[in-house]
Amino acid sequence: MRKNFRVIKELVRLRFQNLMMFRLGFFGPFFVDGSLFLVQLLVFDAVYANVDEIGGWQRGEMILYIGTFSLLNAVNMVVYFFGVGGIPDKIKSGEMDLYLTKPVSPLLRLSLESINPGSLPLVVMSLIIIAYGAGSAGVRWNPKLFAGYLFWVLLMLVLYYDLEVLIRSLSFFVVSTAKMQKLEEACISLSMQLPGTVYYGIYKLIFCFLLPYGIMATLPVKYLAGECTLPAALYGIGITVLFSALTALVWKTGIRHYNSVSS
Amino acid sequence: MNNQIMNEMIIETKNLTKVYRRFVKKEGLRGSIEGLFKREYEQKEAVSGIDFNVREGEFIGLIGPNGAGKTTLIKMLTGIIAPTSGEISVMGYYPNNMKRGFKMQYAVVMGQKSQLFMELTVNDTLRLFKEIYEIPQEEYIRTRAFFTELFDVKELMEVQVRTLSLGERMKMEIIVALLHNPRVLFLDEPTIGLDAIAANQIRRFLKEVNQKKKTTIVLTSHYMEDIRTLCGRTVVINHGKKIYDGGTEEMFARYHDVERIYKEAEQDA
Repeated sequence: MRKNFRVIKELVRLRFQNLMMFRLGFFGPFFVDGSLFLVQLLVFDAVYANVDEIGGWQRGEMILYIGTFSLLNAVNMVVYFFGVGGIPDKIKSGEMDLYLTKPVSPLLRLSLESINPGSLPLVVMSLIIIAYGAGSAGVRWNPKLFAGYLFWVLLMLVLYYDLEVLIRSLSFFVVSTAKMQKLEEACISLSMQLPGTVYYGIYKLIFCFLLPYGIMATLPVKYLAGECTLPAALYGIGITVLFSALTALVWKTGIRHYNSVSS
Repeated sequence: MNNQIMNEMIIETKNLTKVYRRFVKKEGLRGSIEGLFKREYEQKEAVSGIDFNVREGEFIGLIGPNGAGKTTLIKMLTGIIAPTSGEISVMGYYPNNMKRGFKMQYAVVMGQKSQLFMELTVNDTLRLFKEIYEIPQEEYIRTRAFFTELFDVKELMEVQVRTLSLGERMKMEIIVALLHNPRVLFLDEPTIGLDAIAANQIRRFLKEVNQKKKTTIVLTSHYMEDIRTLCGRTVVINHGKKIYDGGTEEMFARYHDVERIYKEAEQDA
């Protein structure tokens, strides 16, 4: 664990050094991601301005939901999105060879070698939205509530990571996962606008179980709103454990299945 | 004691085979449509029943034409890919189990794949490898100094890798690979694309590493000069099969040139 921490620290340091070699590349994303976030907020504002309740949630909870989803997305972008996103290319090009021969988890190294500080403003903006949403929803913060919310956010980040790695690990078995990634994008953009509370029937099966993007921001907000029942909590924990196990299985099988490419 | 170590078998394979399955598509649109519903595959035996042993401290060459199976063999020895059948042991490990203890003891340099961070300096890459291989600070400084002096690259350590020449970059790849003092170094075409001077330098350094550090080196190359200069023993592979395994000088004395090695050695085998 300590050894991994030292490797992670070095990877982060190298990534920062790498980004700082290009001044525009380093400062550019701060402005680009910040602008994208503002556009997103305007869209949300236009959609939800006249809506008082969606899936039983008032405006305050909806703002919390938007803030929480944005936070999950922003942390994902800062920490592992670009690293995990590069996995299919590394497999296709045979670059994976060099990761497999080093005495450090290839997935850990791949996930954390492309951190993106350019998305940090999104994290800050998401926190502001959450604070505003909590105020609107009448949430009274206390250490227990804060710790619980943090727990759910971290757990859902694990689920988010699992889903990203799972989809990209399919590159070990198929020529291209581009269509799967398109489906992932569509699910994420839909889930950014609709909380899991609106899904029923087949849609609930799809968005809360098969592709559980629907629960990712929903459970932390349910917890804050005092609506997180024991079965819902157990479901959230259970599905994360299930997807973590599935992702580990697919990744490990993929590594065994890996045939590299001819030189 | 030294002789004992030198005699220890460090790599052993028995009847090692790797078979790839590849999709065969018939020509044209009709072939593509047929392929959607009924796929035909063919088996390609990249490595076929190879018995191969290396003693600790040996400098061994693997030669063969393109597609002979050299790189596939290296990839099996380093655990990157799993063999289809046969036995394989490298330093007592089954490579594809990818045990950390195994990975700590070898290094691989692939002539066509770089492990350097192109936008940063070699020192930056070395720092990451120091952490990955848990090299104590003092040992790190000592080893880095040894290799930068040996390879005569002291003034290049703080230069952006992207600006280095191909020959300089290959020296750096080898330094990075040797930083943790591996017992076995696998080199896959390390002199590919290098000019004669750079290739000669690399050869000289590799010879010194083998002699001074007693590192076992397995080298694949297309260049006979690499093999002739460096390897006491050579294994020739063609069509996935081992067709010669013996002294390098003896091989050249017997077959004279590369074409005859591939053609006549196959007949002899």
